[in-house]
Amino acid sequence: MSFFKTLKNGATVTASSYKLILVIWISMLVLTLAAGYPLKAFMNSIFGKSMITERLNDGFDIALAGEIGKPFGALVTSVTAGTVLVGTAGFILMVFFAGGLFRRFTLAEGRLKVSEFLKASATSFMPFLWITLLMMLIIAGYTLLVIGVPALVMVLVSGSKMPSGNGIYIFYVIWALGMPLWLFVADASRRWMAATGSRQVFRAIGAAFRALRERFWLNYGIVFAVVVLNLLLVLAILWFAAFATPDKGIMVFLFFIATQALVVVRLMMKAWRYAVVCEAVQQQRGEAIP
Amino acid sequence: MRKIPWVIMCLLPFIASGQIVIDKPLSPRLTGYDMNVTLDPDAHTVSGQMTAWWVNHSSMPVGEAMMHMYLNAFCSNKTTFAKGRWSAAGDDGWGWVKINSIFDGSGNDLIDSMGFVSPDDGNEHDKTVLRLALPSPVAPGDTLVLVIDFTSKLPSPIQRTGYEGDFHFVAQWFPKFGVYETAGMRQREADGWNCHQFHPNSEFYANHSVYNVSVTLPSEYVTGSGGMLIEETDLGEGMKRVIWRAEDIVDFAWTAWPGYKVLTDRWKGVDITFLTSEPALKKADSQFQAVKYALEYLEERVGPYPWPHLTFVDPPMSGTGAGGMEYTTLFTSMGGGMVPSFMKMPEMVTIHEFGHAYFMGILASNEFEEPWLDEGINSYWEQRIVDHYYGKGYGLLKLPFIRLSDTDQGRMTYITSPSRGIATNDLPSWMYPHGTYSMMSYSKAATWLHTLKGIIGTETMDNVFREYYRRWAFRHPSGKDFIAVVNDVVRSEHGDRFGEDMNWFFDQVLYGSGICDYRVSGITSNKIRSYSGVVDGDSVTYTRSDRRSDTLYISRVSIERLGDVKLPVEILIGFDNGEEVLEQWDGKELYRDFEYTGARKPVWAKIDPDNRIDMDVNRINNSWTYEPDRTAARRMMNKFILLMQMMISIFTI
Ligand SMILES: [Zn+2]
Repeated sequence: MSFFKTLKNGATVTASSYKLILVIWISMLVLTLAAGYPLKAFMNSIFGKSMITERLNDGFDIALAGEIGKPFGALVTSVTAGTVLVGTAGFILMVFFAGGLFRRFTLAEGRLKVSEFLKASATSFMPFLWITLLMMLIIAGYTLLVIGVPALVMVLVSGSKMPSGNGIYIFYVIWALGMPLWLFVADASRRWMAATGSRQVFRAIGAAFRALRERFWLNYGIVFAVVVLNLLLVLAILWFAAFATPDKGIMVFLFFIATQALVVVRLMMKAWRYAVVCEAVQQQRGEAIP
Repeated sequence: MRKIPWVIMCLLPFIASGQIVIDKPLSPRLTGYDMNVTLDPDAHTVSGQMTAWWVNHSSMPVGEAMMHMYLNAFCSNKTTFAKGRWSAAGDDGWGWVKINSIFDGSGNDLIDSMGFVSPDDGNEHDKTVLRLALPSPVAPGDTLVLVIDFTSKLPSPIQRTGYEGDFHFVAQWFPKFGVYETAGMRQREADGWNCHQFHPNSEFYANHSVYNVSVTLPSEYVTGSGGMLIEETDLGEGMKRVIWRAEDIVDFAWTAWPGYKVLTDRWKGVDITFLTSEPALKKADSQFQAVKYALEYLEERVGPYPWPHLTFVDPPMSGTGAGGMEYTTLFTSMGGGMVPSFMKMPEMVTIHEFGHAYFMGILASNEFEEPWLDEGINSYWEQRIVDHYYGKGYGLLKLPFIRLSDTDQGRMTYITSPSRGIATNDLPSWMYPHGTYSMMSYSKAATWLHTLKGIIGTETMDNVFREYYRRWAFRHPSGKDFIAVVNDVVRSEHGDRFGEDMNWFFDQVLYGSGICDYRVSGITSNKIRSYSGVVDGDSVTYTRSDRRSDTLYISRVSIERLGDVKLPVEILIGFDNGEEVLEQWDGKELYRDFEYTGARKPVWAKIDPDNRIDMDVNRINNSWTYEPDRTAARRMMNKFILLMQMMISIFTI
């Protein structure tokens, strides 16, 4: 199974699962609207009938925070709290849907109905939550080891308060180069669970490592490629969002459509990574279910 | 002191009128200091001899001398400066200045004539003001000469002055004369010394002086000072001697650190030296540029920078306590190595501290008693310079999606302070209650100076400062002296357009504590109906055809004054047919209604449409429209949602 064929097969499977992706997108949108809408309502009530909102048209003039005064502090507090809350809920939501997606990508053929998708998500939710948390913990430890420790050593050696010089960038690069491995393990272990129906987290991770070793460079290469493309997409989206300042009603609406379309693309791209890993593992086993 | 030893008699003319730095004296040069000291970088001491002199320029004999012993502010945790806010880092961290011997020009030993006084708060633990009872009074026109042997121990942690490891910033370090003020000077009633204690928030006050400073120190130390380098000599055995001379400056500070990188540049006739550290080197070009911007802007709008030299320092991380301070021809910036280039904080600090060369360097106001005269005025100019040169009015931060002007940054500090109305703006620096010193003397004062510019116009405002410089350069102006300049210039350029004088303005913003807030309370429009009702018992009605001809409206735009401060304001009113009308209001009554009759209806109104009245603490209520623009709120909600979606998708693996 070649590098490009794996990527292509993954893409085909992902594209055919567009309905599932749309379900994920809608859930996410409703969730984030729950936090975003009060923000808008708050701003409208603060500014009332004022024309000062003209000063927001070229981006946010921080002076307006001073104009708002005390309520601005309240706004920051509630937005922060809302972000944490929605972030947590969003995390759970994504873990939930990952269950359905991996189920879909382990099917040899055919499609998953939305109801089956939700059912698969629900069934595998708890083990997926554990494995996600475990993998995030491993990645956090890896980060601490590869970036935290060298930074600490550099600070201790140089005696300054911040790691200075360009030396630390080398460790950022090493960290980034190692990340696809962990993502492969995270994806392959979830694939193993979805395929076997097992709920054993550590066995899943063990299986994933074995799968990784089998055709290491292909596995690494495909995840690396997909992650880089995802990264570029995320940067492009953030860049677009930061710099676009539509100031007419219709333009704001179009901006909303455009950004949400980009979110769907991003969700597809992420699902593509799952699909590609499933493809790779299944192909090396020569079968859909181990 | 009549009898001056011949050695000093011979030296004095050289000291007083010798021209090394500048062609002719800029100031009366009533004080001067000749110093020969050694830095011991391990003990963190500076010790040696000093010959200090003071000319009695009054018409009365003076029987005492007062000197600042600033470093004693760091000698214990009970001094007025340190109380509750500064303590030494370990036993080695205390700072002090000790006079080992002191003689007058006639050779009289004055060591027993010394005593510490605390004129501001009576604190017996404070030893920052030295009173010297003289054996015989100094006659008018005579010179008091003091020959002092002293040791200065630098404090740590650094608070403007001090050391950290091998970094030394030597400021407020020697016994220094107070200012002998004559009656009438700064509205003073009788002659006397003006010599305040060192307070946590206060800065300084001094005569323009001549300094000849010779420092001996280890050769590996790189040095810089407010003086012009006369010579640097290798003394062998790892030691060197540096000699500086400075003329007509109010304070002399210097620094020594082996890690300095020294860069030089030139602007017109001014040699600029920059002492910085390795990590901050990347900001050097931008820092030089900031100094040149400030030089250019202030020379054009205030007056010439008269010295041919200027040194500035971006202290290393360990020396940040010395950052952001001014000694006229030497100043310190900060943060050059830490701040990304789209934020102009280091440049802002550089411009601010350079600006002090004018506001208290040249125009040597009393920072103890009237801090707004230097910090307020200097912040006002700093904000104008930063917003003029960086990012089209948004000097501090300008990105496509977020921005902040330096003027607004200062104004925000004032308008958002809950204590903005608890004190007047003319207090001595140590008298500001509830921690309002910097908000009041920097931010509020700069804000009303911008407001004054808004009222009298930029051109007149600049002429005010040109005249202020012309009248008061190298003297000691007071707030009242500044106001007199404002009144004269405004009168000569605008007649009585703003009243007999501008005192009404200063009475509110400087000597008053009120806040300024105007608001549009709303717009109403009603159709003018044909006559209808009961007149003399007969009812009058109008017909259907009358009704159709009811096309005129009576409309009212209602403006209110919510604060105590009364300032003239403009109100721009927009009508439904696209017309705009600019109304004037003296802003004195509590409210004002503007009424219009006609086919057009007002649909929006803006108080102070050009944002000239920076003192207005709330600009949200300055405008009112039937159709507020909600697109920004929607756009921000969209971005917020997108950001959260991306965050969730990234953090869930
Ligand atoms: Zn200042």
